[in-house]
Amino acid sequence: MTTTPRPRALIAEDEPILAATLAATLRRLWPELEIGGTAPNGVAAVEQALALRPDILFLDIKMPGQSGLEAAQELAERWDGPRPFPQVVFVTAYDDYAVQAFEQAAVDYVMKPVSDERLARTVERLRARTAPAAAPAGDAALDRLVEQMRALLPAQPGAERLTVIRAAVGNIIRMIPVQDVAYFQALDKYVNVASLDGDALIRLSLKDLLAQLDPDRFRQISRGTIVNLRHVASASRDDAGKLTLHLRNPPDTLRVSPLFAHLFRQM
Amino acid sequence: MRTIVKHDNHTMTTLARPKLRRLADDAGLTIMVCVFAAVLITLVNGKTWELYDQMVYSVCVGLIALAILDGARLALPDDPARRRRWLAPGLVLLVATAPFAHFCGMVVGSLLLGYGIPDLHDYPNDRGQRGMILFALLGIGVMALLILNRERVERIKLERTQATARAETIERQALQVQLRLLQAQIEPHMLFNTLANLQGLIAIDPQQASTMLDHLIQYLRATLSATRAESTTLAQEFAAAEAYLGLMAVRMGPRLAYRCVLPADLRAARLPAMLLQPLVENAIIHGLEPKIEGGTVTVEASARAGLLEICVSDTGLGLDDTLTAAKGTGVGVSTTRERLQALYGPRAALTLIPAQPHGVLARLTLPLETA
Repeated sequence: MTTTPRPRALIAEDEPILAATLAATLRRLWPELEIGGTAPNGVAAVEQALALRPDILFLDIKMPGQSGLEAAQELAERWDGPRPFPQVVFVTAYDDYAVQAFEQAAVDYVMKPVSDERLARTVERLRARTAPAAAPAGDAALDRLVEQMRALLPAQPGAERLTVIRAAVGNIIRMIPVQDVAYFQALDKYVNVASLDGDALIRLSLKDLLAQLDPDRFRQISRGTIVNLRHVASASRDDAGKLTLHLRNPPDTLRVSPLFAHLFRQM
Repeated sequence: MRTIVKHDNHTMTTLARPKLRRLADDAGLTIMVCVFAAVLITLVNGKTWELYDQMVYSVCVGLIALAILDGARLALPDDPARRRRWLAPGLVLLVATAPFAHFCGMVVGSLLLGYGIPDLHDYPNDRGQRGMILFALLGIGVMALLILNRERVERIKLERTQATARAETIERQALQVQLRLLQAQIEPHMLFNTLANLQGLIAIDPQQASTMLDHLIQYLRATLSATRAESTTLAQEFAAAEAYLGLMAVRMGPRLAYRCVLPADLRAARLPAMLLQPLVENAIIHGLEPKIEGGTVTVEASARAGLLEICVSDTGLGLDDTLTAAKGTGVGVSTTRERLQALYGPRAALTLIPAQPHGVLARLTLPLETA
């Protein structure tokens, strides 16, 4: 009799009773599942997932630190090594705007309060996917998550377009024509504007910035980076399948999140 | 509701002037008409040296006519529905008043001017005097018309002011209803998360589940009854806040600590319903829930110089981060400010300042009502 390794799960949920309840229900419905731990916030969720390398990841949407969606995005960017990307199941309270979006994007999710019946169906699906016989080559789970997340990422609203970036450098305000910007990179509360004439900081969130940029020219390529497509010289893929962009001027390189890798596939 | 009635009474007393005051105002108008009549007479007969005498006579005639006519009018109850019915008797009185006022005016005027009393005997035979009586009638008619017209204009103005006041009242009431409906909305996200906790607790710790259910019932009762009650007591508001914080403490576990301080003598203080609750919920939703380490919420009431002060402080994310993280923050605060403005004007305020070393301090001040 051969013993197959037990599938391992990580639960990210900030409310301790809900985390314990989900763990207890999972143990009842799926006795072979090993609950590797519970993470109390969005930041810990990513760190613990990278340390534990679970097969299944339950992510609460509303968590302190960062949301479940942000955690999934960060994990997709930082996941490496031989183990396949975990199956992600989002957990959300009934009223979350997410429920509707999830339905449309066909994302795996369960609703709080979690009903046994609904969780049993999810468990069945997860069992099928994590069964060793069913394990396909490559990162099926990551591909699915990427597909789902792309559908979830908000469409850019037709906000007013920026033509000039006004960035304070000491006492002066530098005016940087938007077409001269090579890329924007989020740094804590600021965004670094990299252009032909060097770097400058602006105090604006990357999300707000993205809404004001021409989507034909500027694209988000990871959680923290927006690139000007006209400044990209080439894209290269390393052995692990990670994609890197090489810019013309300044000659910097930028990492592309798996979520946005489709932008740079060969035609 | 009470404030509105008060408001209307106030308008009525300032606009509906006392009768003596109206009589005095009408006398002013009459003197102007009389002076004009005297000048007219002098211009017609060309005896410019008689202008002063004419004025004295004219004013005497006018004031006597006014005393009779306006006195009669003001003595009768002013009923808008019956105004038309007084028209015919009023005209008769006016016509009868003319010769009487003219004669009396002549007598009083002569006495004032030191000319002696004119002889009543030959009075009606004098053609000139008869002409003057007709002229007096005309003048009195003009005077009556002017007075009535002015009253009509004033009445229209009064009605318009009252209509504006009513419209404002209605607008305010509509606003309050809208606000109550807004407040009545218990966030489904909060409710379902709480139910999910209850569901879990029933299996793990039935005793705590029962406590949590008590908190939930109290919270729902307070929130829903606030849709019907206009004002409440500080004790009730604190009970609702504690129920909510109790719920959140179970949900957030060790991440949330809270403290409520209500001095015994302020328990009965009255305040509008659901002023405090949004501040407490903001402290949790925008301050502590999104903060990894959590923190403490303190709700404290105090009184000084006739003002009630309620402070809600948290050790959460703080104003800056909160505003950039969750754009919904301003709504609850501005709604509360609008309510305070509508209810108390400049006597109430809500200020939000950064707390030290981090977090937000919301300070609510309003007039202390202990009835």
